[in-house]
Amino acid sequence: MDNNQVFDEVRAIILEALGVDEKEVELKTRLIEELDAESLDFLDIVFRLERSFGIKIPRGEIERNARGGLSDEEFEDNGMVTPEGLEALQRVMPEVDPIYFKDGLAVRDIPRLFTVETFYNIILAKLAEQGRP
Amino acid sequence: MNEQHPRRVVITGVGAITPLGNDWPTSWSGIVNGASGVGPITLFDASTFPSSIAAEVKDFDPAPFMPHKKHLKFANRFTTFGLAAAREAVDDAKLNPAGLDPTRFGIIIGAGQEKYNLAELAEFVQLFGQAHRVDYEALGTYGWQVANPNNLLKSQLNLTASLLAIAYGAVGLNLTVHSACASSQSIGDAFNIIRRGDLDVAISGGVDSMIDETSLTGFCLLQTLSARNDEPTRASRPFDLDRDGFVLGEGAGMMVLESLEHALARGASIRGEVLGYGSSSNAYRITDIPPAGEGAVVSMRLSLEDAGLEPEAVDYVNAHGTSTKMNDASETRALKAVFGDHADQVPASSTKSQIGHLISAAGTVELLVCLSAIEEDVLPPTINYETPDPECDLDYVPNVARPKPIEVALSNSFGFGGSNCSIIIGRYRPEGRGA
Repeated sequence: MDNNQVFDEVRAIILEALGVDEKEVELKTRLIEELDAESLDFLDIVFRLERSFGIKIPRGEIERNARGGLSDEEFEDNGMVTPEGLEALQRVMPEVDPIYFKDGLAVRDIPRLFTVETFYNIILAKLAEQGRP
Repeated sequence: MNEQHPRRVVITGVGAITPLGNDWPTSWSGIVNGASGVGPITLFDASTFPSSIAAEVKDFDPAPFMPHKKHLKFANRFTTFGLAAAREAVDDAKLNPAGLDPTRFGIIIGAGQEKYNLAELAEFVQLFGQAHRVDYEALGTYGWQVANPNNLLKSQLNLTASLLAIAYGAVGLNLTVHSACASSQSIGDAFNIIRRGDLDVAISGGVDSMIDETSLTGFCLLQTLSARNDEPTRASRPFDLDRDGFVLGEGAGMMVLESLEHALARGASIRGEVLGYGSSSNAYRITDIPPAGEGAVVSMRLSLEDAGLEPEAVDYVNAHGTSTKMNDASETRALKAVFGDHADQVPASSTKSQIGHLISAAGTVELLVCLSAIEEDVLPPTINYETPDPECDLDYVPNVARPKPIEVALSNSFGFGGSNCSIIIGRYRPEGRGA
């Protein structure tokens, strides 16, 4: 499976889960802000990705990974992402426009940053872990 | 004015998806013309089942009725019927949901029961079935493989009511009732809730489809369905001597109910008034009905009392009339008990002869039949009535509709489990009627 095929499949799953039109979904499209995704939709997308690619994405892994190895105390303060946390996020999610990693980002708003590419990258990483092309 | 209930409740819009049409005017036209919506089951291969016929909804495309396209992934068949019927009812009422006080606008729905997803069950058995036992260790470890979170929501009874609230911004009371075939208690509840002042406007009705593999299996095991597979349109024959069980139907009926004050204030066109509601339980057995129909007698009497009407005021009864041996005889006895000497002058027909049994949606759709009967002064028929049964000797409006001035009509719905629901509606008279 080449990267284009992976992207097409990720996009097809997002189209189905969110009931949106193909032309609305690009690599950089943000799922909550632009496609009106709700929390349940993320569970649905993860479920479909697991089935389709034969991989396992443990619940909470995406959030944990986003912390870039930082402890909770290092990453967040009173529900807000620390400056150190912002750096980690930017490192882990290079696909997200850096303008969003600014002071005052609440932890609960991190999923608002997720784009189609976030999921595409997760799949590529999982496939690589399994030694699949 | 009724001193006990100063607020009156009127019907300002109706909508339906039935086996005879994907809107109410088409459905009503089929009903009044004596059509049948029954045929061989096409939703799945039922050819080997003891009963392989049903009244299916035809050529229905749910997509245009969803609040958002993605909701199709949760919405099962009957939820999509409900959304379509509600859209028609809201349009019919010329209701502008955005102009309402959202907190006084509610949704009260009777909904069908949870469904198994057979494909998922098969996979479940393959993964976690160990010699007819569940392998809980495997389930705990690999359960994520089969558990799409959507499926949990899909089986929640209140999904229809929830999507309706989202579709119309109805922030007020949101209630789902399920009392099997008596689920038109939803309309009775909406009537009481508006009457007591807790809501001004409600979308209320019922939705159901039990034309699926597991439900059909269940009803076949209960031996309640007609096995007249070779003559589908003649299978549902309430009150006829040769009746042999009911025919499954599916669909939805919806009404916009409003306080009279609210309807008048917005200049709504009033189609009818809800006058009385009576509900009871047989407190007897799960599926058997007490032979004299005692529970049905109680619900009908309570509805008359609630409406402040004498039995003689009722011009038409839309009977529960399922086409089972037991129901039709016992309902006949109950009608005689309630209407006494007058019973043979109260025509009582069964729409189930034409559209089958819509289960949780049956009562609402049959109430729409009462409404259109009142509006057009016509008695809808009981079709397939050929051989009188000595135990069923009332006027069932055999086979063809007939004109009659109708001011007040009563609809009966009785459910497995013993719930009974009787609702009385009437032509809207500004001066009111009854006590």
